[in-house]
Amino acid sequence: MRLLQVSLRSLLLYSLLLVLISVPISFVSISAILNHEVDETLVVQSEQFLKHVQGFEYLEDLERDLEVLDQLTYNTHIKSAPGELPERKFETVRVYDSLDHEERPYRTLSSVVQIKGKPYRLTISLSLVDNNQLLTAIGLVQSVLIVALAGGLLFINRSLSRRLWKPFYKTLDQLKAYEVDKNETIDTVPTRISEFDDLNKTIGGLTERNRKIFRQQKEFIEDASHELQTPIAVFQAKLDLLMQQPGLSESAADLISRLENTAQRMSRLNKNLLLLSKIDNRQFTQTESLQLNALVREHVEKLRPRAEENNLNLHDSLTPVSITANRTLIEVLVTNLLHNAILHTAPGGNISVNVYPAVLEVSNTGTPLQSPERIFDRFRKESNSTRGSGLGLAIVKKICESFGYRITYTFEKGTHIFKITFNG
Amino acid sequence: MKILIIEDERELVKSMAQYLRQESYVCEVAYTAQEANEKILLFEYDCILLDINLPDGNGLKILETLKANQKSDGVIIITARNSVEDKVAGLNLGADDYLAKPFFLPELAARVSAVIRRRHFNGSNRIAFHEIIVDLLGKTLHVNQQPVELTRKEYDLLVFLLANRNRVVSKNAIAEHLSGDDAELLDKFDFIYTHMKNLKRKLAEAGSGDYIKTVYGLGYKFTE
Repeated sequence: MRLLQVSLRSLLLYSLLLVLISVPISFVSISAILNHEVDETLVVQSEQFLKHVQGFEYLEDLERDLEVLDQLTYNTHIKSAPGELPERKFETVRVYDSLDHEERPYRTLSSVVQIKGKPYRLTISLSLVDNNQLLTAIGLVQSVLIVALAGGLLFINRSLSRRLWKPFYKTLDQLKAYEVDKNETIDTVPTRISEFDDLNKTIGGLTERNRKIFRQQKEFIEDASHELQTPIAVFQAKLDLLMQQPGLSESAADLISRLENTAQRMSRLNKNLLLLSKIDNRQFTQTESLQLNALVREHVEKLRPRAEENNLNLHDSLTPVSITANRTLIEVLVTNLLHNAILHTAPGGNISVNVYPAVLEVSNTGTPLQSPERIFDRFRKESNSTRGSGLGLAIVKKICESFGYRITYTFEKGTHIFKITFNG
Repeated sequence: MKILIIEDERELVKSMAQYLRQESYVCEVAYTAQEANEKILLFEYDCILLDINLPDGNGLKILETLKANQKSDGVIIITARNSVEDKVAGLNLGADDYLAKPFFLPELAARVSAVIRRRHFNGSNRIAFHEIIVDLLGKTLHVNQQPVELTRKEYDLLVFLLANRNRVVSKNAIAEHLSGDDAELLDKFDFIYTHMKNLKRKLAEAGSGDYIKTVYGLGYKFTE
């Protein structure tokens, strides 16, 4: 759920709650105010009436006149009420309206007054607004309000998210596409919103710093493996001289031989590390048009004796394919895949090398791996053989990544299959 | 034969010189580009071993100086950078060979020997050792004036051993020399044993002395 939707939802919920609460409150308060107003009017009217009547006290048959008045008027009634004490009483009553054929609420003030020294009951009534109508009116107004509010909020939200949050989503998209080893920088557009500008600035700084550290690290690996070459060379040279010492015992000779094997491993490992970091540092940029089948043929024939020594059957099916690529790296790629196959196929097994349009496929018989998803990881070896640097397939993968070739590893019917699809 | 080693890593220089002197080469040393520039203009060398990365300059510049002064010394470039660009640049500037660190001293000796022979004995380029005569141009072997058929690997093996006469050459060095980067695929013992056995058999059948000695646990030595 998007941030704006979350805030919108809370806003809408809150407004709805307010509107719902406001309906009874408005109703109660409006009817209270109305009743109060009506009561005041009633009091004023009854006082006015009394004042007027008292002005006519000189009339002899006022009593008759009052009776007539009582008959004639609709809202005002006055009746003789002998023996009653003066009082004032408000009441709300429902009266049937014969015109509208419905009951209507009325507010009445009935008071006992003295006219010509005699008690009379004066009742004045005023029509009240119908509660139902009032409630309906308030409900209607509030409903319109809710719709207007929600619609307005949705609209503002929509246009805000499209306009105001645009730079944010742009930055987000760039962050998603960000890769520390690529050279594209995150370019941010200044916005009117200071938080976004802050965010963009922070992200810009962060990604640039990451890239710098990453680059330094890559350069460090290359420098380190480069610097290691010389001491390994010295070590190797000293071993070569040590071998020339006369009168070496068998055990000393054995030790020297083992040291030399170790030096060889160090040297090979270091060369591969250097190669890996050189690919990483994009030092192989020159490309040319290559006959992939011819290049593979050359390497297959070169390695055929090795395969035969290990009692392996090496088949190939190479159709003419031309690709544009860096020759050195494609040679490394082919060599490493073939080396891997030869090193990890048991005697009597089969290796097959296929080239068909834009695809190189190297497969060899074997047993399933314990963790095939880690096959391209550095220094990942499933056997504890000391042959192979543990970097061959990592280099293959790195070459593919750097040039956008697609590489897949599958295991089918007792065969490990490496398939590389070149892009055009 | 005079060799100039241009390399700033003193320990490596010492080992290279010590190994090459056993072949009765005279070794001189320059630790900096400046020293090297002085020496190459004053003297003639049969072979110059040139490290590209020197503390005070790029070794390729020295190569340019050599060329500009029409010097015809043989040059082997030595570098820790094993980069194709360096290799191509060096060979384009007239270097004879290229060797990446780390290397085996027997390999170095073989390369030096090849360069010197190519420079000195134009036309008839042969190595002779008693009754054994190897023609490097025709890649043929004669023992007691009789031609002996060798496979490519056996021939390479023999030339390699001859270039390292009287010195122990390890199986690793032989394997690397014979099959380069593919050496890691080899069962070295079997691989070398087979070729060595065949070579020795062919030499013996042609009436040659048994010069190839097995040095237990280490490798082989070509000696009287």
